[in-house]
Amino acid sequence: MTTAPVGKQVLLQRLDGLRKIPTIPAVLFPLLHYLQQPLEQLDVQKITDFLGQDKSLAAQCLHMANSPLFGPGRWQKVESLRGAVVSLGIHHVSDIAMSCGVLNLLPQAKTSLDPVVFWEHSLGCALICRRLARKIKLCDPGKAYLAGLLHDLGIIVNLWVLPQEFRTAFEIAKSEGIPLHEAEQKSLGFTHCDSGRLLAESWRLSPDLIEVVARHHSPENASQDPGLVALVHIADLLCRMGGLNYGYVEHRQVNLFEDAGFTLLAQSSTSLKHFDWARLTFELDSYMDEVHSLVRAIYRA
Amino acid sequence: MTTAPSLQGVPITAVQPQPELVRIRDLIYGIAGIFHPDNKLDLLQKRCGRRMKELRVQTLREYFECLTIRPLRQMELMALLNEITIGETCFFRNPEQLDALRRIVIPNILAAKANAPGRRLRIWSAGCSTGEEPYTLRMSLLDRADSQLKSWVVEILGTDLNQRSLAHARAALYGDHSTRNVTSIHERKYFLPSGDKLRVNPVVRANVTFSRLNLSDDSQMTLMKNIDVIFCCNVLIYFDLASKRRVIQHFFDSLLPHGYLFLGHSESLFGVSEAFRMVHLPGTTAYLKGELPLRKGKAI
Repeated sequence: MTTAPVGKQVLLQRLDGLRKIPTIPAVLFPLLHYLQQPLEQLDVQKITDFLGQDKSLAAQCLHMANSPLFGPGRWQKVESLRGAVVSLGIHHVSDIAMSCGVLNLLPQAKTSLDPVVFWEHSLGCALICRRLARKIKLCDPGKAYLAGLLHDLGIIVNLWVLPQEFRTAFEIAKSEGIPLHEAEQKSLGFTHCDSGRLLAESWRLSPDLIEVVARHHSPENASQDPGLVALVHIADLLCRMGGLNYGYVEHRQVNLFEDAGFTLLAQSSTSLKHFDWARLTFELDSYMDEVHSLVRAIYRA
Repeated sequence: MTTAPSLQGVPITAVQPQPELVRIRDLIYGIAGIFHPDNKLDLLQKRCGRRMKELRVQTLREYFECLTIRPLRQMELMALLNEITIGETCFFRNPEQLDALRRIVIPNILAAKANAPGRRLRIWSAGCSTGEEPYTLRMSLLDRADSQLKSWVVEILGTDLNQRSLAHARAALYGDHSTRNVTSIHERKYFLPSGDKLRVNPVVRANVTFSRLNLSDDSQMTLMKNIDVIFCCNVLIYFDLASKRRVIQHFFDSLLPHGYLFLGHSESLFGVSEAFRMVHLPGTTAYLKGELPLRKGKAI
């Protein structure tokens, strides 16, 4: 017997469940606001003070700052937050702070989707977005990073608001080897793009980030910043086809060059014409080990 | 002042790679098309180390010069590529590739050939060395033969330039190194013990044939026709760009319209050919002959 999808109505009825979701640590909002100022006006001490207000966040940031993923050209261990800001630069520190800030958003109870796997995917996607944005000179790498990190907010919502129903959708995706959003559509009647939009709006994220959350599986419908949405869409696809998936293999063939996201990206960046996608795919291999050990270490800490 | 706590006892990952090693990595990728991601650079360093010992060269910087400006750079490059691929040949070397072949590529090909006359599938292992790859392909397909390939004739052809390698392939007798990835189930199913070695059993050998072929010989290459899938792993890395392009064009012509080309792990056709389209399969990539699409697609 097949069960009818619960539909968007149920999601909307259970919206007060959104209140259960922890928010990003309070210190991050003023910090992000502060970081919007021109670089020469920023004070390193002030940034470390912001982060230092939340001890567990600070500890996680410090650990992340010591990963090769964030410290190009460094040879020494970063011992303090101040050292991290000085040696990595202010923008990397904000990437790190946001990553650590969102890591604690998943429910503590046993969930269908392993939180470690989920954050490995999100962090991997953020890193690919940042690298791709830099390589094809599409947008600010920091913004691309944040967009990649937050694109799957809707999965967090589904895990909090409709855990049982989401488990069914996740099991379908896993057993059929199909993309998660297709299984959600089939069994829930909506996807994590729909539920993510609700959380992104309630957090008052910027319109372009809301659009990334809501449209990363349908970049052809993006209007705010189609280039950014397409970038996240492609990075997400590469992660899912590589080893940074949701813990199961999607049994399918993806031709990037036929994808709507690719067409949009090509319209937004001229340097895409001679871009080496094979190399980027191989580079994912090296992210994988680092992302695995980083997320696992932070979860153990 | 606020002092941040540090995480005690949590392993801190390795430092950044040496710039000289990165330059050698990029050089190898540019010339040979084989890429070592950052997490495989220690392997590349070991391989360079073996060459450096031989040449009595002290530093990676000096070794980079051996590969770029010294008179014998071409020979040194070949020697390093040999180090890179040495010992690579074994059964079930690339499980992601085999999975993708079974679960995605073969079903796609069968669908494309559904209305074609004759139920024949031709797979070519180009540069098969001592035969591990073609036999592995046969074993992988036999694993699924009960369902999708029932009533299909699968021909696997292994070609190589080296007669001694081909003689070894035909004898089908392998030691520990070659069979290190063979599971006990596969061992029971597809091998027969022979002294301290394993011999591929007659069922697997039945549809695998070997012949000598020089990939640079145009007249021989034009005879290769109606192929569904080509595997050519770690072979093209030894060719210069012009010869590589010629071989790739021959592969393109040999393949049927729905045909696939698989290269070695981390091996790319970037800058070599635009005729093939790279496709992503779970954990691996392949090149599809197909037609140039560039139509407005839907997001996947």
